[in-house]
Amino acid sequence: MISTIQPSPKVTATIQTVTSSIPATPAPLPDGMSAALLEAAPDAMVCIAADGRVVLVNAQAERLFGYERAELVGQRVEMLVPDAARAVHPGHRAQYVADPRPRPMGAGMALAGRRRDASTFPAEISLSAIDTDDGIVVTAAIRDVTAQLRVKDLERTSQSLESFIYAVSHDLRAPLRALNGYSGVLLEDFGGVLGEEGRGYAERIVAVSEQMGQLLDYLLQVSRISRSELHPQQVDLGSEAARIAAEIQRRDPGRRVCFAIEKPVQAWADPGLIRTVLENLLDNAWKFTSGRDDASIEFGTAPSGDAAVCCYVRDNGAGFDPAYADKLFQPFQRLHPVRDFPGTGTGLASVRQVVELHGGHVWAEGAVGAGATFYFTLDGKDSA
Amino acid sequence: MTSRTILLVEDNPDDEALTLRAFKKSGISNEVVVMRDGAEALAYLFPDDGADVPIPALILLDLNLPKVGGLEVLRRMRSDDRTNMIPVVVLTSSKLEEDILVSYRNGANAYVRKPVKFADFTEAVKALGVFWLLLNEPAPSFGPKIEFEVGHQ
Repeated sequence: MISTIQPSPKVTATIQTVTSSIPATPAPLPDGMSAALLEAAPDAMVCIAADGRVVLVNAQAERLFGYERAELVGQRVEMLVPDAARAVHPGHRAQYVADPRPRPMGAGMALAGRRRDASTFPAEISLSAIDTDDGIVVTAAIRDVTAQLRVKDLERTSQSLESFIYAVSHDLRAPLRALNGYSGVLLEDFGGVLGEEGRGYAERIVAVSEQMGQLLDYLLQVSRISRSELHPQQVDLGSEAARIAAEIQRRDPGRRVCFAIEKPVQAWADPGLIRTVLENLLDNAWKFTSGRDDASIEFGTAPSGDAAVCCYVRDNGAGFDPAYADKLFQPFQRLHPVRDFPGTGTGLASVRQVVELHGGHVWAEGAVGAGATFYFTLDGKDSA
Repeated sequence: MTSRTILLVEDNPDDEALTLRAFKKSGISNEVVVMRDGAEALAYLFPDDGADVPIPALILLDLNLPKVGGLEVLRRMRSDDRTNMIPVVVLTSSKLEEDILVSYRNGANAYVRKPVKFADFTEAVKALGVFWLLLNEPAPSFGPKIEFEVGHQ
């Protein structure tokens, strides 16, 4: 029985089996290397002889289970098995030894390990075996998956939250339609009876219910974007921006705005979602330059730092007070009164959501009356 | 026989009231029969006693209905020779892509999302009436005769 991590033929063979990238008939490892490899393994490794006794563990196993090496070696491996599974474990062990192919343990079952203090943790365990001069040795690579399970839980919670948001925003539309509709009927059919003041109130109901409709649209959109899967591909953001600019100009032919658009700007992004980013930014630029005769809007690229690409949309419009720059990207936040620049205050929040979904960042620079520049970065193909 | 009747399948009384008003305001004077859930709609289209029912000229169908859902109504209609060519417009609040897809897949002729804005809603109902009752040429009749003619083309 081996009780320390001294290099020996048995240990060398164990390591070679565990690290499957090593060729089938490997050259013997230099002295000490196998022990070092075992210690460097990212998972806790526990090697067990045919009788179920631990022959070898690495430092990760000591840390994970809370035992010293000397306390484990020579003991039955069942001391690392939770109480509930301890009785059946020797049977499972025997089954594995009878058909010792490398495979995950307990396919489909929730596995757990038992620490020295009797606490347990959810685990993923891979098994492999090798023949040695002293008989078969089974190696278990054990990984604590507490964090992964927590992430899964969070994802599930977040998904049900998104569905809830969707259902709520959807169901709220029906009463809203009635509110807006009946106020409209009052105005159209009973406007004379209402008198000027009464019509004014009915008009306000119409206006706020329409505003609430836009807010619900935003909620729906948030829920849609968070639930949507990214299908990134190569997109020319410059051509996309040019198309959007032409469309905006077409909708409002009376205005003269000078567009300067850099082309091509290749990026790795979901085409539909990234279009909404450009639409929102260019729509904003168009809107906030409405007070200028010499309005100009620019789309281009800036030094990207760690990101694959950094784009900006710059305008010479109303700008904003940089003290509130962080508020720009929060939903329902407006830095200008509605009567000056209409909108729901949700466009930039959507921009941020989409860009962050792509692993990028957004930020803005500007000053009151001196225009604004909105930047966003996108990661490349490998990291997106 | 195809009638001039419009069948409105709608459980929300407000949407019903606003739709009826929109028809009236647009000068569409066709009789509107309202069924308030999917089971009622099916009972109207396929009476138990096998009596002949006037085939509606247009059906406005909500998706989210009590008892029997709108999609089930649509499926049943499309699998029956008497009703499989009636124009059906899905008129709903849902803008879920899967609802749109599954509606078309089950034979909807159009899919219209109810607008929140009153003016838009009225405009949409009017446009539907004008298109389906005036502009659109309905299938000349239902049943084996059509199949025969198609078979000889």
